[in-house]
Amino acid sequence: MEILQYALRKLLGGLPLIVGVTLVSFALMVYFGPDMTYLLLGKNPTPEQILEVRQQLGYDQPFLQRYLGFLREIVTLDFGVASTGEPVTALLAKTIPVSLILILPGFILGHVVGLLMALAAAYWRGRWLDKLIMAVAVTGMSISFLIVIIGFQIVLSSSDGLDLFPVRGWNSTSLGSYLTYVTVPTLATMFVALGYETRFYRSIIVEEMSRDHVRTARAFGLPESRIFFRNILKNCLIPIITRIMFSIPQVAIGGALLIESYFGIPGVGKATYEAIITGDQPVLKAVVSLTAILFVLVVVLTDILYRAVDPRVTIE
Amino acid sequence: MSAVALPEIPPARARGESLWRKAARKFARDRLGMVALGVVLAYFVAAVGVWLGWWAMGWPDLTGTKWEAVSGTHWFGTNIIGQDIFDRAIYSTATAFEVGLIVALVATAIGAILGGFAGFFAGTWIDEVLVWLMGVLDAIPFYLFVAAVAYALTDNPWAMHVAMISTFWVGTGRLIRGEVIKLRGMEYVEAAHSIGVPEVVIIFRHILPNTSHILLVQASVMFVGAIKAEVILSFLGLGIKDGMSWGLMIDESTKEVLAGFYNNFLAASLLMFGLVMAFNAVADALQDALDPRKVG
Amino acid sequence: MALAALVAACGPVEQPSGARPATKVFRYAMDQAPTTLDPVQGANIYANFVIVNAYDTLYSYKYLARPYELKPNLAADFPTIAPDGLVYTFRLKKGVRFIDDPAFPAGRGREVVAEDLIYSIKRQFDPRNQPQGAWLWQGRIAGLEEWKAAGSDYDQPVSGLRALDSHTLEIRLLRPYPQLVATLAQGFAAVVPREAVDKYGKGLGVRPVGSGPFKLVSYDTARVVMERNPNFRQEPVDLAYEGYDPATQAFSGVEAIQGRSPPFVDRLEFNFINEPSASWTSFTKGDEIQYTVLPIEQVERVLASKRPVTLRPEYADKYHIYAGLEAGFIFTAFNMDFPDFGYNPDPERERRNKALRCAIIKGYDWQGRNESWYNGLGQVFPGVIVPASPEFDPDLSLASVSRDVAGARQLLRDNGWTPRNLPKLVYGTTAGTTERLNFEQFRAWMGDIGFPREKVVQKTYANFGDISRAWKRNQLPLVAKGWGLDYPDAENTLQLFYGPNGSPGSNDANWENPEFDRLYDEAAVMQPSDERTRLYRRMNQLVIDDCVAITGLSRTRIYLWHKDVIAVPDREILGGFWLKYADVVPAKPAGLTSRAAKGT
Repeated sequence: MEILQYALRKLLGGLPLIVGVTLVSFALMVYFGPDMTYLLLGKNPTPEQILEVRQQLGYDQPFLQRYLGFLREIVTLDFGVASTGEPVTALLAKTIPVSLILILPGFILGHVVGLLMALAAAYWRGRWLDKLIMAVAVTGMSISFLIVIIGFQIVLSSSDGLDLFPVRGWNSTSLGSYLTYVTVPTLATMFVALGYETRFYRSIIVEEMSRDHVRTARAFGLPESRIFFRNILKNCLIPIITRIMFSIPQVAIGGALLIESYFGIPGVGKATYEAIITGDQPVLKAVVSLTAILFVLVVVLTDILYRAVDPRVTIE
Repeated sequence: MSAVALPEIPPARARGESLWRKAARKFARDRLGMVALGVVLAYFVAAVGVWLGWWAMGWPDLTGTKWEAVSGTHWFGTNIIGQDIFDRAIYSTATAFEVGLIVALVATAIGAILGGFAGFFAGTWIDEVLVWLMGVLDAIPFYLFVAAVAYALTDNPWAMHVAMISTFWVGTGRLIRGEVIKLRGMEYVEAAHSIGVPEVVIIFRHILPNTSHILLVQASVMFVGAIKAEVILSFLGLGIKDGMSWGLMIDESTKEVLAGFYNNFLAASLLMFGLVMAFNAVADALQDALDPRKVG
Repeated sequence: MALAALVAACGPVEQPSGARPATKVFRYAMDQAPTTLDPVQGANIYANFVIVNAYDTLYSYKYLARPYELKPNLAADFPTIAPDGLVYTFRLKKGVRFIDDPAFPAGRGREVVAEDLIYSIKRQFDPRNQPQGAWLWQGRIAGLEEWKAAGSDYDQPVSGLRALDSHTLEIRLLRPYPQLVATLAQGFAAVVPREAVDKYGKGLGVRPVGSGPFKLVSYDTARVVMERNPNFRQEPVDLAYEGYDPATQAFSGVEAIQGRSPPFVDRLEFNFINEPSASWTSFTKGDEIQYTVLPIEQVERVLASKRPVTLRPEYADKYHIYAGLEAGFIFTAFNMDFPDFGYNPDPERERRNKALRCAIIKGYDWQGRNESWYNGLGQVFPGVIVPASPEFDPDLSLASVSRDVAGARQLLRDNGWTPRNLPKLVYGTTAGTTERLNFEQFRAWMGDIGFPREKVVQKTYANFGDISRAWKRNQLPLVAKGWGLDYPDAENTLQLFYGPNGSPGSNDANWENPEFDRLYDEAAVMQPSDERTRLYRRMNQLVIDDCVAITGLSRTRIYLWHKDVIAVPDREILGGFWLKYADVVPAKPAGLTSRAAKGT
């Protein structure tokens, strides 16, 4: 009950953030964004036709009026139809799940493998394995994502390479086809994330390991596994939760824009990007508000999780 | 962290100097760091040469035919319209430094100033507004935000820089804010306050200099981040407007690699990898050297 | 909730490609996705490819005839035209039904009638639809403008559009319009049932309800999946009528469809692949896309010879190849409204400006562009009548498209142009690597004739809409663009230089030549004839003589398709109409069946 009250209070506190995100994004993407009028014109337009289209799109209204209209849409959750004619909600319901199941494997694997490598590095800190792992991590961090994608595609998918997986596309109707399509994107995502995750986990684990209570536990001869789970991992949970929670909006909304456009996967990242380029206002507005709301939810959830993990964290 | 600094000694400098001297000594002992620094300097020399017009000035000229192989005249071959890939790759080194330095310096400065103000005025509306701003910028997915800024500023040659700076500063801002909140409670600051030193002076003369180790590391991280982001943005068609860059070369190559023409791809990605890798190593060494727990 | 989302992602109707061997699947590929499938906005080729397969048009083009020839599609025959050329009477085929859809009573598609076409043309004049096809009929068909001005009420009649009975349509024109029949072969004129618009509104853009050979199964940004319309009318193919030429087309095995009724495949997929390299890898895998336009980058690797195009043996075993010249061209127009090099109040300056434009044209290296971007396979031609137009003159002098650096420098010198007084050339493009390299090439060529590097600058626009805005607002000095023919008639490219079409119209050059305009007015109302061709060619010469555009080049596209597909592809005038004739030979031994096909 207390948590519920707290959550509600927090949610209310998130309102300024929602206003901020929507205002900034609206100004950037919708107001100063591309003018769709000229994509919608016929080949030999007259000035009246140009005016008509602008009116239809609402470009002739003042900023404040358009922004308020947008806020109204957020409250009613009615964003209208995309330029394709598809209702925006249907578009999002179709694309977001695709992005999620596309990115989740790479996201999870990146964290798990990164954690394992970090543990090994931290355990043998300063030894050759540590150096090797950190060298691999820095190397991974130094290669551009785009190069990784092109490289993986050549090696794994092209007929000049191993030719194991489809070059592009998406099909998730059966587990088998899902796996064939998701593998290369997953490997690329994981490869890029691995360096960052390994370094992150190593640094927080090393920090915890050097704390007094861990040293004390060691001195008392407690088993390493117990020290690890009881003393180290538990104390690392807060930064880990923070990192994972705050990447959720990026994963869910930003999608893997690059992956989606390079592999031609109909996810939300690509849909949003295309909306930005063409100035498809209804889609943009929906994505922007979804982002803002999701972010606030994440903030609140993270706070609650902190408390669950460590009761000493107080609710102010 | 106990208050050992005496109010009459200009505290920022005393504390700062010893930290920097120790860090420099420590850095000099880091062999990998020194090698990496050497590599970065070599790249820098290449860039300076471009700025001074000593070399790579022929990058836009059509000096050969389509897709020539590596030869004595064209060290890395030529591209689809017959331009020299070596010249273009070297010229791009200068672009990389331009993008990296501008973004890193401006974003660090903004992060330091806004973070410093937020931290110093923690608990007041100034802090609230700044934290709110950081939250807002954090909440918008990076590439979508950058794309939006780039489109909103179409045709402006600085669109890409502005886009990166306006997101990159947030991380630094948060770190500095945290650090300043810590420093604010220290005695020398309170002392300065009590003798009526203006707040702005306190922030700029007494507090921010003490965060310079964080700023340096942050700047080096952002330098690398900017160079890498440039590649992605160029692929998305949002890159630099005039000139040549590794990102543009890699974008050029996406159409060529499966046709078996790898020169653009290899030249740009290897050169970029070298610089980024070396810079990452330098940043790591710096971080180690500047870690107060290790120094002090 | 996460689980529900996951299930939803797996839910859609898609089936794994080729899961049931009995189903004939044709996996087609295009380089972009359509923005909408509603004919009212079906402006681009990508949308059109899908639209003409989901909907019916009154006319279409013969499958195999080149040059392209119109043929009746939903119309029973060609129209009868009154002697004054102002009244057309069309008869529609009987018994054609829309696909079954909940929009109709009892979910059963009703018969297509003349009123449906009237309704569909009206939709182009209703601003609420943000229509893109109005320019085809604006100022041509009587009463449309008035209907629009009165508020676009669909229950009100249009004086120029009348259904004489359920299957007879009369169109009255304001002035003769010889291209009218061709406009009715466009996706814009696809026949849409009012019930579907009433039910789905803007949703029609993702849910076509037509009477075409296929019906939509799914649509997203990665692909469109359609399946055969089981009720599509029976119309056995007569190859001779379709313009079959055994000498050039027998290789395709197309004889196998003689006497059978299209569509031949059960399932038609349009895969949208932006990156040429991805498209190529997908094509060569064997079990993915079965058709591709050969990426320029692959030409050297894949072709054994360029004239004629033949494949290297390792590819020739697996793929068919066909080279088609585009029905359109690329060119760069000088915007004459810019006094730096266009019209100028000072007659002396205007004379020098013309010399400047002519010098720039002389300095432009069409062959160089052709070599680097089109592997030398494109066709460089003078003027604006493209080779794919029936009125093209193959004997026209190539002087205006041959590079002459010395001549250009001489011309500049003679007219008092020096590196110091040369004006700045602003070259507008969309953002992209190809566009950037095009610009760098242009800058280098202009450098050769004496332009300092800083006087040739690029101005980039984020997307096509933004650069269109700059064109329409008359803001760009140099307009580099491509134009695709809407119908095989040179009028379609000549109108690009017709004075009254100036910005925001399609005359981006804002060129106004009284003689050209007079000839255009004269020719615009003429049915095709030698006399009209003569007028067209005179207009073409005026464009060349006045140096108003650097023009032009028609690109050659090379189509490749797997040997188990029986087809003669086209991406130009015929466009999506050919897909219903495509057949796929099921089962493995593709080589065997294609041999058998050749044997017949």
